[in-house]
Amino acid sequence: MGESWFRREFLTPKRLAFNVVFYGIHFFLFGYGWHTQATNTKLAALNGLKWSVWTSRGAGLVLAFDGGMILVPMLRNILRIVRPKLTWLFPADENIWFHRQVAYSMAFWAMVHTTAHYVNFFNVERTQVRKEIALDIHYTQAGGITGHFLLLIMLLMYSTAHQKMRQQCFEAFWYTHHLAFFFMIGLYTHATGCFVRDSVDPDYIPTFPFYSTEHCLGYESWRFTIWPGIIYFGERIWREVRARKATRLSKVLVHPSGAMELRIVKPSFKYTAGQWLFIQVPEISSLQWHPFTITSAPEDPYVSVHIRQVGDWTYALGDRLGAGPSVVAAMTKAAMKGTEKDEKDILGGSSRGDYVEIDAGSATTSLPAVRVDGPYGAPAEDVFDNEVAVLIGAGIGVTPFASILKHIWYRQKKGKLGSLRRVEFFWVVRDAPSFGWFQSLLQEVEAAQADPNFLRINIYLTQKISEDMLWNIAVNDAGADYDPLTLLRTRTMFGRPDWTAIYSRMKQAIETGRYIPGSNAQLKTKVGTYFCGPGVLAKAIKKATVEACTSSVEFTFAKEHF
Amino acid sequence: MGNLIWHEYARLVTITASIYTIWAGFFAIYFRKFFWDFVGGTVRDPGGIQPAPQAAFFIAVIVKAPVVPIISMLLGMFIVALEFPGPQLKGMAIQRSFIFKTVMLIIQAFFAVLFYQGTNGALWSLIAAMCYTRAIMLGETMAEAKENRGKAGEA
Repeated sequence: MGESWFRREFLTPKRLAFNVVFYGIHFFLFGYGWHTQATNTKLAALNGLKWSVWTSRGAGLVLAFDGGMILVPMLRNILRIVRPKLTWLFPADENIWFHRQVAYSMAFWAMVHTTAHYVNFFNVERTQVRKEIALDIHYTQAGGITGHFLLLIMLLMYSTAHQKMRQQCFEAFWYTHHLAFFFMIGLYTHATGCFVRDSVDPDYIPTFPFYSTEHCLGYESWRFTIWPGIIYFGERIWREVRARKATRLSKVLVHPSGAMELRIVKPSFKYTAGQWLFIQVPEISSLQWHPFTITSAPEDPYVSVHIRQVGDWTYALGDRLGAGPSVVAAMTKAAMKGTEKDEKDILGGSSRGDYVEIDAGSATTSLPAVRVDGPYGAPAEDVFDNEVAVLIGAGIGVTPFASILKHIWYRQKKGKLGSLRRVEFFWVVRDAPSFGWFQSLLQEVEAAQADPNFLRINIYLTQKISEDMLWNIAVNDAGADYDPLTLLRTRTMFGRPDWTAIYSRMKQAIETGRYIPGSNAQLKTKVGTYFCGPGVLAKAIKKATVEACTSSVEFTFAKEHF
Repeated sequence: MGNLIWHEYARLVTITASIYTIWAGFFAIYFRKFFWDFVGGTVRDPGGIQPAPQAAFFIAVIVKAPVVPIISMLLGMFIVALEFPGPQLKGMAIQRSFIFKTVMLIIQAFFAVLFYQGTNGALWSLIAAMCYTRAIMLGETMAEAKENRGKAGEA
């Protein structure tokens, strides 16, 4: 945990504001629902049930609110559009986090609501305020039936959505979560049984919504909560339509260590650097969509994604594309032996940046059809609003920066860099073979730098190094033009980066005016940090950025999510 | 399908079902009602269902004295302690036995289905028991807990 729960929830201004507003709304709605029920003279008969009916009605209104909000953070396309305009108001990239908060709250209020209703129906039977028994309401009326189904669906959805389950078997989570469709149907029809009424019998009518609002006095919350549902459903259909637009897999490049680069041509697909997409390969699974970061720049004639072979689906894809384990093993071995750049030219050996190309035109393999859904937003889009951008990728988390670096490179060529003056790129990586696939790109970008101060590449290798390797590096490194591991001009650093030191040095350099040539000291310098990688590292970096903030230098932090 | 480890999933369902049952049992102490009292019962106004004379035994252990709900609660608490696992149960063979857990869940379902509030808890317990059965069928096992884990100051 590290920091205490209290500190995290109450002493962080943004989180405190969220808690006050979010839970404030909940308690307000609960109180309001309670009050309107308790003071409604038309419902005097029901009010004979006292506190249990007030509680159930209050909690019911809260649940209606949650039921409406649960889908809002999942409106991915709408979020993508409103995101750039609303980042100041709420962190739109934390949509999954918000979805979970709503879900937790929904579970709690469902408990309150259900408990209260168990008491209600018990007392309805006992007092015979209505001529029916408790089990009639539970198992023969709309409210009871849908309620029990909603609880069962919640059990299945919540348990498969547990972090552990998602990691083990994403499919189980993915398919089970589609029970949301029935969940929403159940939610919208929960009140159609007309339990809250001032008449003796439910006042059903033959026209929509099939009960008269004259005598059925529920909150009619479905009139509001159905909209996110309709919009979400529409979005899903639209995504399906969009995914069916002409898409062609034009090329596959297999890099050492098994990363596959898929180059896809889809003219209707427009995106900005740092965004991500869902990809589907119907031959492998016609239902599964897998998210990947786009690694090409918008200026490129194709859309590319880098896929590492780690899970079921990615292995299947590797097999299908002819990049199975044997191919990868052979390549990795060749790459580990990889010789230096200039040696390669003489000897004709293979170097670490090499890859095997699988073309659509080749006769031996045919490439499968692919479908693409996206793009979806990520914070890295707003890199160009900063004077200094610090891009930090850890391991495979480097992928969004491939796109951004390429994009920066294209814009640099055109001389349209916005307010961006300098870019610091950090790549923290555990083992040397992972360098492979990203290397060709980095080489290209590095070689293209006219101004040595614009882009600085910092690569950290955190793996423990054996003595052999140490000597190998020491021997090869001395006097060579290129780093022996990455074949870049930039030297690889070993061990973990000390973020506090890095940021405080950067702050000093900016303040003394050495960092950005010709910068105006009166103006506030914005340094944006963009990070993609594991949460522990994110916390450390965020702490360093917060500590480094001064009146003249503003450090911001954004994290990508997967 | 990916590689779902059924007993780990069953654990989550078991905990949920047991906590539900504990909560239901708690309310069943205050609002006592035999779930199956409609069988042969007559409805009186006011007063609700008057159970059939044959149900006298269940009325005695659920309504007159809430024995069944209390047993359900204790059983639920034991299962939760078994699943988390509590420090005393950690390392015991029953903590790793899926058959034992399945049997406990079925007993829990049996008790829970008797009283008014317990039906969902019973249903969910059966779902959990089915998940454990699936784990047994697939031959899953639980590794023995390491002795040195989670003990501070003994290093």
